[in-house]
Amino acid sequence: MSRALAPGALVAVLASIATVPPGGAAAQERTTVGGYGEVHYVNRTGPDTPGTVDLKRFVVYLAHTFNDQIAFRSELEVEDAKVEGAEPGGEVALEQAYLDYRLSDALTLRSGLVLPPVGIINETHEPPTFNGVDRPGFDNDVIPTTWREIGVGAVGRVPGVEGLSYRVYLVNGLRSAGFSAATGIREGRQEGREASFANPSFTGRLEWARPGLKLSGSFWYGGTAAADPALGKGAFAAPITLLSADARFDVSAFMFRGVAASIWVSDAAAINTRYATAVGSRIAGGYLEAAYNLLHALAPASSQKLNAFVRHERYDTQAAVPAGTARDETLARRITTFGLSYKPTYNTAFKGDYQLLRNKAGAGEAEVVSLGIGYQF
Amino acid sequence: MIRARRAAVVCCTLGALVATPGAAAQAPPAKLAASLARLFGPHARVDTLHVDSAAALRISTGDSLLGFAQVGNVIGKDQPITFLVAIDPANRLKDVDILVYREPYGGEVAYEDWRKQFRGKRAADPLQVGRDIRSISGATISVQAVTAGVRRVLAELTAWHESGAIR
Repeated sequence: MSRALAPGALVAVLASIATVPPGGAAAQERTTVGGYGEVHYVNRTGPDTPGTVDLKRFVVYLAHTFNDQIAFRSELEVEDAKVEGAEPGGEVALEQAYLDYRLSDALTLRSGLVLPPVGIINETHEPPTFNGVDRPGFDNDVIPTTWREIGVGAVGRVPGVEGLSYRVYLVNGLRSAGFSAATGIREGRQEGREASFANPSFTGRLEWARPGLKLSGSFWYGGTAAADPALGKGAFAAPITLLSADARFDVSAFMFRGVAASIWVSDAAAINTRYATAVGSRIAGGYLEAAYNLLHALAPASSQKLNAFVRHERYDTQAAVPAGTARDETLARRITTFGLSYKPTYNTAFKGDYQLLRNKAGAGEAEVVSLGIGYQF
Repeated sequence: MIRARRAAVVCCTLGALVATPGAAAQAPPAKLAASLARLFGPHARVDTLHVDSAAALRISTGDSLLGFAQVGNVIGKDQPITFLVAIDPANRLKDVDILVYREPYGGEVAYEDWRKQFRGKRAADPLQVGRDIRSISGATISVQAVTAGVRRVLAELTAWHESGAIR
């Protein structure tokens, strides 16, 4: 049974077996099903604002591995539980659908409907991963999560630099026809639906990670004219530039995260004239969040979590406006959220929070109580 | 002649590893060899020991035992993560190596800064994310999976060694 082994012989022999794996174990095809979802109860203060309940998201994750190199991954989402013809609301959509071709740890080629790697929530959006019943307002109005577009790209680790990884994609551009004063570039997303490829766009991210700490920077650059001659026909006509930085830091029972982003809409004046809207020439803001796991003090042996958190968001979708566009100060939002997240396992969450919705104009302010559940598997 | 016999032993070694229940995915032989050489030195001798249908690697030099190792697999989000756990003769965890990572997100578990948290652990330690193992944001599923896998393999190797099933 025992024989001394020289390492050279080991490698040579192991390599020879690898070409004829016993039982063909090296390339096993497998199909995986997973999912995530969230149900919300939301009650806004005011005399005529009864609470609402909504099955906000129900997502099925379906993946197939063809061999050690090639895998398909997808997420199919139903929003608001139901879609019925001729009735508003509800949505059935693909959130992701792509093929990965893995060449090495440093390089995987990715093509299909992908998530621009911008900010924290867009790529990591499963409800147990964030505090608060709903995603931060910033991740709706500034970074338009769940943001997905069609394209090709490369992801991997940066060789030789421990902790550093990258993702870069070439994808279809946004359409400025959808831009608005209140939600910025959000409705400019094309989401893989017969999208115009008149304005190829670049997006990417660099991440540096170590236990408890992740620091990242993201960008997006591309035209938004979608071949509308009023805005120009070039590939980079009516460009937008997005820069974003985010940090996550966990130490002992404390968890901190923060994101900041700035979006420059170069031809906001022309866009506002063409589409009779009031898009800001700069959209900017961010948030800071601190959380503490109460069970760390109350039940130190428990692997469950009860996170008490506070988050403060400040963002303005009209941080700057072009000449001729009136500024609406209710869009300079300040949102403070206090809440609890009970996580019996790392992939399930029961949440509650209280939000103070404020703005620079002091008009239309409100408080909101929310309860929710979330899961992923 | 001697070389040929060595080759036969190694064939058995890897064949046994592949046949380990739950070991759906293989480690490339060169990676496994490099990992063992890094942990135990380039001239260590590697033997396969069988415990029921499972297999462990015994690593020694001359007359002295250097430790034991085992290749394990855990499913992350949808892909097997192939890892190696090595212990010293006192059943202290020597190191964890990620031999193959196949998931789209969460590859941070291969970073040494994360893996080195396991060094010196014993089967009696909690080995729980959030207690004695720190997580990595955005890699939670892989962190949970690999931690559970290491806990299982460390417990198995320790029990086998203590019972004399491997020695």
